[in-house]
Amino acid sequence: MNARVNLNVKKDLLKYGAKDWNECFHCGNCTAICPLTDDNSLFPRRAIRLAQMGLKDKIKENVVPWLCYYCGDCSKTCPRNANPGELMMSLRRYLISLYDWTGISRLVYTSKKFELIAIVVIAIFVMILYINFTVYPAGDPNKWLGEDGGVLINNMAHWRKIHLADLIMAGLLSFFLITNIINMWYHMILKDKTVKVNILDYIKGLYLLPLHFITQKRFSKCDESVKTYWYIHLLLVIGYVTMFTMIVGFLEWFQTDKVHPFWHPQRLFGYIATVFLFLGIIYFYYNRRKKLRENSKYSHHTDWAFLVLLFLTVLTGILMHYFRISGMPKLTYITYLLHLMIAVPMLVIEVPFSKWSHLAYRPFAIYFSYIKNLAYKRK
Amino acid sequence: MKELRIGVYVCHCGTNIAAMVDVEKLAKELSEVKNVIVARDYKYMCSDPGQDLIIKDIQEHKLNRIVVAACSPRMHEVTFRKALEKAGLNPYYLEMANIREQCSWVHTNRNEATIKAKDLILAAIKRVKWHEPLDKRSVPINEATLIIGGGISGISAALELANAGKKVYLVEKSNKLGGIMNQIDLTFPFLNSARQILDRKLSEVVNHPNIEIFLNTEIGEIFGYIGNFETQINGNKIVFGNIIVATGLKPFDASRIPEYGYGKLPDVITSLEFENMLKSGDIKTKSGKQPQSIAIIHCVGSRNEKYNVYCSRVCCLTALKYINQINSVLPETSIFDIYADMRTFGKYCEEFYSSTSRKNVTFLVFDQKNELPKIREASSSDKCNLIINFREKLSGEIIEVPADMVILMVGMEAHEAAKEVAHKVGVSMCGNNFYIERHPKLDPVATTTDGVYVVGTCQAPKDIPDSISQAKAAAARILATIEAKTVDVEVTTAFINEDLCCGCQTCIKVCPYSAISFDAVKKVSIVNEVLCKGCGTCAAACPTGAAKAKHFTDVQILSQIEGLFSYA
Repeated sequence: MNARVNLNVKKDLLKYGAKDWNECFHCGNCTAICPLTDDNSLFPRRAIRLAQMGLKDKIKENVVPWLCYYCGDCSKTCPRNANPGELMMSLRRYLISLYDWTGISRLVYTSKKFELIAIVVIAIFVMILYINFTVYPAGDPNKWLGEDGGVLINNMAHWRKIHLADLIMAGLLSFFLITNIINMWYHMILKDKTVKVNILDYIKGLYLLPLHFITQKRFSKCDESVKTYWYIHLLLVIGYVTMFTMIVGFLEWFQTDKVHPFWHPQRLFGYIATVFLFLGIIYFYYNRRKKLRENSKYSHHTDWAFLVLLFLTVLTGILMHYFRISGMPKLTYITYLLHLMIAVPMLVIEVPFSKWSHLAYRPFAIYFSYIKNLAYKRK
Repeated sequence: MKELRIGVYVCHCGTNIAAMVDVEKLAKELSEVKNVIVARDYKYMCSDPGQDLIIKDIQEHKLNRIVVAACSPRMHEVTFRKALEKAGLNPYYLEMANIREQCSWVHTNRNEATIKAKDLILAAIKRVKWHEPLDKRSVPINEATLIIGGGISGISAALELANAGKKVYLVEKSNKLGGIMNQIDLTFPFLNSARQILDRKLSEVVNHPNIEIFLNTEIGEIFGYIGNFETQINGNKIVFGNIIVATGLKPFDASRIPEYGYGKLPDVITSLEFENMLKSGDIKTKSGKQPQSIAIIHCVGSRNEKYNVYCSRVCCLTALKYINQINSVLPETSIFDIYADMRTFGKYCEEFYSSTSRKNVTFLVFDQKNELPKIREASSSDKCNLIINFREKLSGEIIEVPADMVILMVGMEAHEAAKEVAHKVGVSMCGNNFYIERHPKLDPVATTTDGVYVVGTCQAPKDIPDSISQAKAAAARILATIEAKTVDVEVTTAFINEDLCCGCQTCIKVCPYSAISFDAVKKVSIVNEVLCKGCGTCAAACPTGAAKAKHFTDVQILSQIEGLFSYA
């Protein structure tokens, strides 16, 4: 069946943050000026067209929104102020909700209320678990302190318990994310009958996944003006990956009763990662607040939610660390609770269902587009 | 024949000619040619001192033929003719040799260019010998004007002339004035009511003492020429000096395009049918429901090799007007505007497009050249009346557009009666049956027949303001000729030697201006010198040599050729 024009999609996209893209009369300036587009994948003009006509199925199969890193040159030079850059951003949000088979993502994006309630509910759930499975440091504070004066944290919230919960959460998040990626793969590769990707193609392109996950190499190819932006984003990613690895992978090593010296890798890596994270958060917050760049001009409620949650997670993490090494058991206990009450909802909502899912979709989109091109070329 | 006394003047044209042609040498050599009394070269012959030189020579040396070797006669023939007249010589005793455009400008070898220039001048010398004196002629102008067609163009021209105190005969084929504007609701780009504009004009026309209106009337045979036409209307003879043809347009018949199913699918309607809905304020499908979605298809019968290749010029803006009107009456209705190219030239028209494009409308592009959209009846599961199917050009996708109603923007064609009228008034038509103007750029109002003007959509598709401009321009032109009281007519016409004419009437068949008639008594052809343009077709076709073109007689042309080969 042919694609049916559907104007409801247009109305829908407005909820995902699209602005005035109906102004577009397809001069193609955006595609001409885009530093990332190439013969294999021309954008953003055509994607704007699909959005104008509301061809939902075609949008779903379309990889190009993920190939754009929003340098904003297209929006800056658009003769009709049609905001092609923001449309690509909205399409990414829209795609995230289309890949998500649970429908949660759609609710997060289209309803501020839902996002807020979801955060609160998960936070309360975390609180109940925490209170049930940990020991409050009552009585003599000295009872909870080690020889070096640090809080005996594993006596109140043993790393094994937290680690188990971490792994369960990570498993759950991976499940959602992976199934969503399978959905993406189905629409981008399997459904397209015009091209047949073989096993060798899949293997040939595999290296792209870690490469683009860690470096966002394509991003750096954007216009010169985004170089700073890319570096800071890179630092944020490094900070995040370091923290995530230390916490989810090696909690026994990271959450110790002993207070290591400042130069111990546990503390040093932690501090560096924290600085990177903070730097990123402040930079991105400042950009969005002052609307300094094309890509920070328009902020969707999910953008703010992500930034605020990440900030609070890092802040509570720092406080907890401070209270722990300073020998303040009660405050350590409480800030640990708060830290989890913020970090868990953040991860649960953001990673598979909202903004943070781009950590997986972007490298996979590059991978899929690469292997599809290999197959095309063979044809 | 009197003694031939020829003056030859070679112009330098600054360095335009002198740089490539040895003008001094030419003047010297030419002064030795037989019958040449003086031969001079001068910096700028067309300048006042240059002209004075010729005048002085004519008077001093009693010259009776002048050859000016300079630029193209298109440039300065009139200038030098005037100089001859001033010196008391008949202006037609002049011949120009074009040694600039046809020689110095196009050659690179000075020696050869000089030889060629001499050839051209010798040809002119040979020709000028046979020139005959011709007299200027003028005819008086009848002040009345006949206007054929009572649409907005005809009405506008009529008012302009009548307000200047001149008589107008306004002939309309149908039973009311106003033409196609009667069928229009609002006008673009300001969305003013067509009815209001038209009514004001109509009341002026109907009550005007200088305008005589003939409704339900078709024009009969027209005789005469500029200043003096005549015809019969309802058995009465009327005379008039000028004619304005304003026969208007015919909407394209949409049923000719099978893809659109017009006539078969009830909710596929033409733009004029939709105008009617707008006028009645009742936009409904055939089943009486309010349409949830309306599609507009542009270029119906226009810009398509199968139908008409030209652009009808008003459809894009009319479609934009519909978008505005539908939007204000039915704000919930989706509008799909399916176009090939959006052409919104004209004052405030791009602005109109710009503001309309921000309204609740989806623009879609079809491929006019390769594949027209196809309209089919929707099935019950589609929840609409019609489905339009085509490859959308800007995305490359084959798409389906659901619509309850489809409006076909039908283009303009020349009126059926155009051919008949063309024959009666003596104007020509282009391949699309629109009338041909005298010059597409420099004279888009007059025709090659003096005294006959074409205005409005009978000349080419156009909108209301353009039609009115053209109508008023024609009126102004006519007023100017009336003001001059007389009109000069061409003197280099054809004439027929009655003694040689065998009455075969070949010349009558070939004359493009209907300027030759047959005298049944003498059994010879007679040229109407007022109508004749001196094109020479009859002279070329005449088997007996009876027909001749003045100033282009056989002997003149043959001598010129002879002169061309006399040097070398």
